[in-house]
Amino acid sequence: MSFVAGIADSTVSLATPLLLAALGEVIAERSGVINLGVEGMMLAGALAGFAAAVVTNSMWLGVLVGLLAGVSLALVHAVLAVSLNADQVVSGIMITILGIGLTTLLGRSWVGQSVSGFEEIAVPGLSRLPIVGQAMFNVTALDYLALALTPIVWYFLTRTNIGAEITAVGEDPEAADTAGVPVFRIRYGCILIGGALAGIAGAQLSVAFTNFWTSEMIAGRGWIAVALVIFGQWRVGSVFLGAYLFAAVDALSFRSGDVGLGSEVFGSRLIADVVDVALDPQVMQVYPYLATVVALWYIMRRGTLEELGAPNSLVETYSRERD
Amino acid sequence: MTVSVTVEHRESTPSWLRYTAPLLTGALALLVAAVPLLVLNVNPVEAYLVLFVGTLLSPSGIVNTLVTAVPLFLTGLAVYIPYRAGLWNLGAEGQLFFGAVAGTFVGVNADFSAPVLLGLMFVASGIVGGLYGAIPGYLRAKHDVNEIITSLMLSLAAVSLTHYLVRGPMQGSGGSAATESLPEAALVPTVFSPRLHVGVVLLVVVAACIAVLMNHTSLGFRISFVGANVGAARQSGISEYRTYLVVFVLGGVLAGVAGIVEVAGVYGRLFEGFSPGYGFTAVAVALLGRNGVTRVLAAALFFGLLQTGGSSLAILMDVPTALVDVIVALIILFILTAEFFKTHRIDLRTGRNTDREGVS
Repeated sequence: MSFVAGIADSTVSLATPLLLAALGEVIAERSGVINLGVEGMMLAGALAGFAAAVVTNSMWLGVLVGLLAGVSLALVHAVLAVSLNADQVVSGIMITILGIGLTTLLGRSWVGQSVSGFEEIAVPGLSRLPIVGQAMFNVTALDYLALALTPIVWYFLTRTNIGAEITAVGEDPEAADTAGVPVFRIRYGCILIGGALAGIAGAQLSVAFTNFWTSEMIAGRGWIAVALVIFGQWRVGSVFLGAYLFAAVDALSFRSGDVGLGSEVFGSRLIADVVDVALDPQVMQVYPYLATVVALWYIMRRGTLEELGAPNSLVETYSRERD
Repeated sequence: MTVSVTVEHRESTPSWLRYTAPLLTGALALLVAAVPLLVLNVNPVEAYLVLFVGTLLSPSGIVNTLVTAVPLFLTGLAVYIPYRAGLWNLGAEGQLFFGAVAGTFVGVNADFSAPVLLGLMFVASGIVGGLYGAIPGYLRAKHDVNEIITSLMLSLAAVSLTHYLVRGPMQGSGGSAATESLPEAALVPTVFSPRLHVGVVLLVVVAACIAVLMNHTSLGFRISFVGANVGAARQSGISEYRTYLVVFVLGGVLAGVAGIVEVAGVYGRLFEGFSPGYGFTAVAVALLGRNGVTRVLAAALFFGLLQTGGSSLAILMDVPTALVDVIVALIILFILTAEFFKTHRIDLRTGRNTDREGVS
């Protein structure tokens, strides 16, 4: 496979977990609750999904169990953030630490095993297109699922009554409550859907992409998904584009071993050295992280959070009591 | 028959709850953490005996607790100080790594007598840690960029880059993923036991300095004011931009110093896994100690005990040290829960004639 085609191919597989997790985060944040536990939920999904896939030898069952693992951690966040008025930031961070700890603790015996993964399904005709054909139209069912979910989530959030209610809750929960919108139920629902998508995203990485489990294998992708929501200004379309952009950077570092550039290509010694360092596989792992910082910086230079479209009540707790 | 739950706001926290809450949260965290232990076929009671009693009863356990508390306290403050200004520094781990890199670089390459060399190493690690902390602080202050995500991303980047450095440009002659060993002059001296380095005095010295800074200086006042109410602070002429930058630089300096203390005090060289995630446990340290510097110190000592006990558990009973992360996270999650019950009374009634409606 040529280098470019390899990058394109990995980009689509790596966009899937980012896209799924970020879509879930868009839904949760639109209802006014930030979920910083995505990383932990993805890890839980990755380990639980992988273990289930190994035991049952059914990849789909793996994905389902991964989903449930994501939902269970999300339930903890929902109870704390919605019912107990806890600090959403603290709860999310701790769920991530809990997820890292639990999966490292329980995951040890699963290290070294592998699963068969998903078959790639070719779309007749389209898969013959150069580069894009193999990358976009000859992928696994989960990749198609993520692609299909994007317009569905967009339609759900912007064109349905529930979507409007979610937006209302996110903008002004008190007004929504007065108008009869079930604020607490909607927030619970949004957080749980977010957890389910994060769980699937994690399971995709272990079951479908790497086909094995290693501890902390999500490697910050959950946090990148949270950043994508800001970068995509809480809009499904922009989040979709952002996920592919970041997946390309991710794929670049994942495929860095394929790069054959080095000293011989460049005449100047200094430039050659710099290029060698920049293309070192270990150094290339850093690019997605730096890209996230640069992307957030870029987007925040364009306006305040409010101007960018952040839900008004994001991070604030809501309770019916007056004090 | 119906069951109704009513939730009411409490006027004040009953005293029995105020005093038992910390114990209850700890006990509940240990109870829940016993579940994965049972899954691993480990007897939780035995494990907790090793973790706490075994550590506290052995002199080496106490020494290791003190030594481990140093980086936890310094990184805990690196989270605590920005927290007081209303910001989150999730990047203490990266600041610690880069501080360690800078200090180790000076220690291996510079040629000075002992006190000067050690001094230079500490200064270098503080400066580099501070500069690295300044990035998320600046981005937040200047452009309102979410500091939670940027500090964490920069942290992951710093850890990855350090891994690259100790396998590449800074790799020592031993062939493993580690730097050259520090010369004798670059090591923090030890007293009484070969494990107890004099860096533990930092626990007291830094605690006193930061306590004075936070409670008795105008900078400390500005930090708390901005954290309590940005709008009011701005009205009274305090620049939140400068405050945001200052808290992150200060935090970075402390985390950077934590890095070199570990390298020069404990291991004598820098290698990939020299920090078991101090910068992340630091978040829990800061949260547990959020009401004052001495409480941060107490929290650091407690988590130092947990970390030390976790290490002996890994050796004696083959339980991964990740158990410590689980307990740490559970403690904070149960504290969040306890806070609700301190301010709310829950009535659970069962009966036929309940006319009170359930409130979510």
